[in-house]
Amino acid sequence: MKKLCVVLDEREVQDNPFQPDMWRIVRRYPLTSDVNFYQARPVDVDEALKMNYLPGQFIMLSIPGEGEAPFCISSTPSRPGLLEFCIRKMGTLTSSLFDLKENQTVGIRGPYGNSFPIDKMEGKDIMIVAGGMGVAPLRSLLLYILDNRDRFGKVTYLHGAKNPGEMLFREEFFQLKERDDLNCLLTVDKDDTGKWTERTGLITTLFKELGPIDSKNTYAAVCGPPIMYKFVMENLVKLGIPKHQILMTLERRMKCGVGKCGHCAIEYLYTCIDGPVFTYWDVLHMKELIGRGVSDKVIA
Amino acid sequence: MTKSSPKIGVYGFTGCAGDQLMILNCEDQIVDLFGATEIRSFVMAKSDNHEGELDVALVEGSISTEEQLKHLKEIRERSKILIAIGTCACWGGPQAMKLGDGKYEDRYKKVYGNAKITISKAFEAQPLDAFVKVDMKIPGCPIDKQEFLKSVSKLVAGKHPYLLKSPVCLECKWKENRCILLDGKFCAGPLTKGGCGAVCPSHNLPCVGCWGPTDDLNVSAEYNLLKEKGYDPEEIITKIRKFGGSGVVELVKDLEKKGAKK
Amino acid sequence: MMILKMKKEDLPAFLESAKQWGELWGPTTKEEQTAYSKVDGLSQMDLKATRTMIPPKKFLYPPRFTMFDFDEEGFVERTGDVPKRILFGLHPCDIHGILIMDKLFLETYKDPYYAERREKTLLLGHSCIPDDKCMCFATNTDFVAEGFDLFFTDLKMFYLVWVGSSRGHDLVRMRADLFSRNLDKNDILNYTEYRKWKTAQFKAKIDLTGMPDIFELGYNSPVWDELAEKCLSCGQCSMVCPTCNCYNVVDEVELGTVEGTRDRFWDSCMFREYSVVAGGHNFRDKRADRLRLWYTHKLQAFIGEFGKPACVGCGRCVSTCPVDINVATVSKALKEQEVGK
Repeated sequence: MKKLCVVLDEREVQDNPFQPDMWRIVRRYPLTSDVNFYQARPVDVDEALKMNYLPGQFIMLSIPGEGEAPFCISSTPSRPGLLEFCIRKMGTLTSSLFDLKENQTVGIRGPYGNSFPIDKMEGKDIMIVAGGMGVAPLRSLLLYILDNRDRFGKVTYLHGAKNPGEMLFREEFFQLKERDDLNCLLTVDKDDTGKWTERTGLITTLFKELGPIDSKNTYAAVCGPPIMYKFVMENLVKLGIPKHQILMTLERRMKCGVGKCGHCAIEYLYTCIDGPVFTYWDVLHMKELIGRGVSDKVIA
Repeated sequence: MTKSSPKIGVYGFTGCAGDQLMILNCEDQIVDLFGATEIRSFVMAKSDNHEGELDVALVEGSISTEEQLKHLKEIRERSKILIAIGTCACWGGPQAMKLGDGKYEDRYKKVYGNAKITISKAFEAQPLDAFVKVDMKIPGCPIDKQEFLKSVSKLVAGKHPYLLKSPVCLECKWKENRCILLDGKFCAGPLTKGGCGAVCPSHNLPCVGCWGPTDDLNVSAEYNLLKEKGYDPEEIITKIRKFGGSGVVELVKDLEKKGAKK
Repeated sequence: MMILKMKKEDLPAFLESAKQWGELWGPTTKEEQTAYSKVDGLSQMDLKATRTMIPPKKFLYPPRFTMFDFDEEGFVERTGDVPKRILFGLHPCDIHGILIMDKLFLETYKDPYYAERREKTLLLGHSCIPDDKCMCFATNTDFVAEGFDLFFTDLKMFYLVWVGSSRGHDLVRMRADLFSRNLDKNDILNYTEYRKWKTAQFKAKIDLTGMPDIFELGYNSPVWDELAEKCLSCGQCSMVCPTCNCYNVVDEVELGTVEGTRDRFWDSCMFREYSVVAGGHNFRDKRADRLRLWYTHKLQAFIGEFGKPACVGCGRCVSTCPVDINVATVSKALKEQEVGK
């Protein structure tokens, strides 16, 4: 069967890895009160199909005069030509990006990072656990898997948000729920609308609904706020999923994206070139990573 | 250019007006500055001033009277962005070096005795952010021309200014100066926000800390080091407080709690 | 490797001819402070100085430079304005430092700015006189076998000159008359004697064996907190370290326009701002965490990655840190679980 995307090694490597290319914002709409969704395509249309990436990789986004920062890719390479990303209004660059209008241009370079190990995940059952903004990189993986559905086993998607209004891509997931080749479970910590038809409670409550899983044959991908990792990891390990098959994607400050500037170092690893996807086994060796509480629970 | 020129107002309170003077002293760029912006009010520079809505208010000096306070609040209300310029506006300046010691009344009496002051009730000088929201601080005594112009350029272009947060030592090393502390001299470089180009150490003069505290200063480390070098504890604290103002009040208190002699 | 012999008195003539290739830079000393400066010839250089305060990384990777010019249309790379330079008087540790920088900047995603400067710089090493701060014997960087174009070992009357590259050989050929290929028994004896002499010069007491494990064991050690109480967070250690490569990037705008430059400048992981992400969360808010990162990176992480420490034993942190936090004191404190006075 033909793969829908080209692997990283085959893409042309630019002479200057720091050189941003200009991309045009072709679509922008709000996902929540403080998160916007963007679609971009290269100003030079011929470049559009040259952007090959894998789920889990990230790009460096620049606004000339404002600066540059890493953002994960939310779109899937199986739908080429466009890049999609989500931006939460937080710092100075993100608030400038937040104010970008459709048809404006931004600098983009990449893709960078190691991506989810798609080759190893093929043929396996997949469990995706997303909390809050964590859906941004995991949407890429989910859509990629759904576009190549026959290459994966059972697919489970768990998604938690604070409240219905804060759930990113809410409508999209309600549609995906209708598919019978995907077990999609959604929950909110608190329903402040009175109209929420899905589960209520922390994301860990969804684990009780999973039923039997073929744990040794399962890859789990997790992304969410630090507090979520603590409880989700405990549950995944309890389910018997091997630690090297639990994948996490991490966020760090970056100035280069290519292993030069040093900012994203975590002990002996660089998030930008050794990550941003790490296995839980990797993480257990990085004491600095997400607080010591995480590893203590499992080791003890 | 698509954007209309931002409306700017420049104001001064308790201070030496040196920061406003530095703006006027931007010889090569002053024409560009007045061209790229609409200077609505700048009492020190011109007579034709209009007090209305502002995109950016640049405010120098600390606040030390009721009248100033009223004026500051009024400026804040009609300004989208308020920027403190100079160490007095950012941290209080040398007039705030005794901030928080609770002895303002005594000092006031010592200077003015029982004289009746009729203009406006005075109080201990404090930085702007003690009273109103300050969007950005450009410290300096006076401010650095380049840092100021870079910030204004970004504001005019609708971008966020970037100021170095690291201490004076960063640029001091770029200039290949030998660390003055090694020779046992009192250098406040590690405590002080950089961006000045390490001017004083580059002339073999210790940093006196005139840009105010840096992002992450370790006051007790500097104190212990200088004490070890033979400095009098009281002198060390006085020097740390000289330009530190509101930025070091709590740090010095902690230091004294830990047993440093006042 | 080709090793030639040159009379010591011929060095000025050799350097004079080498200047045809590019600007000549060497160590100069002013008010007891040594720095690499542009020189006319040997007479201005101080070859006896043990170390410059700022390592030669400043030539390959300047403290601040412009990467791109930009306007609304996009970014245009700024390269090409780098002069050709000959650096004379680099010590083995300096060259080892550059070899580490090469790994960081030239492998996987080649940095074009570093690559251009590296390409336009010739490295001419010179043997050194170790002082009590030199630790290169503990990092296995007291001698160097690669990375230089030429290396001059001072054997009193003569230089033995290692020719490390084709370009180095080109310099030799410009004054082939000054070099001889005829090495005899005495040269070998003199060189052996020199190595013995150099090895005997080291006074520092430092042993870095087992550091990766000691760092792993000492991750939660209170030693880090004690060191953090002393640390001024001034970042001088990063500026003077020949293997500190971290940088920050900032866009500057021309007044009244949307044009500007994207600039890159030396940064330090000792600064609080270093690990702050959008929204203000700091992954290393505590000073102790930042100190640990710095030293872990030098003495543990790099060994895991490249099989050698990212410390070349040059002693710059020892001679620079005002509160005596350096590779020697930190490794000792961690081993002995006590911060020395």
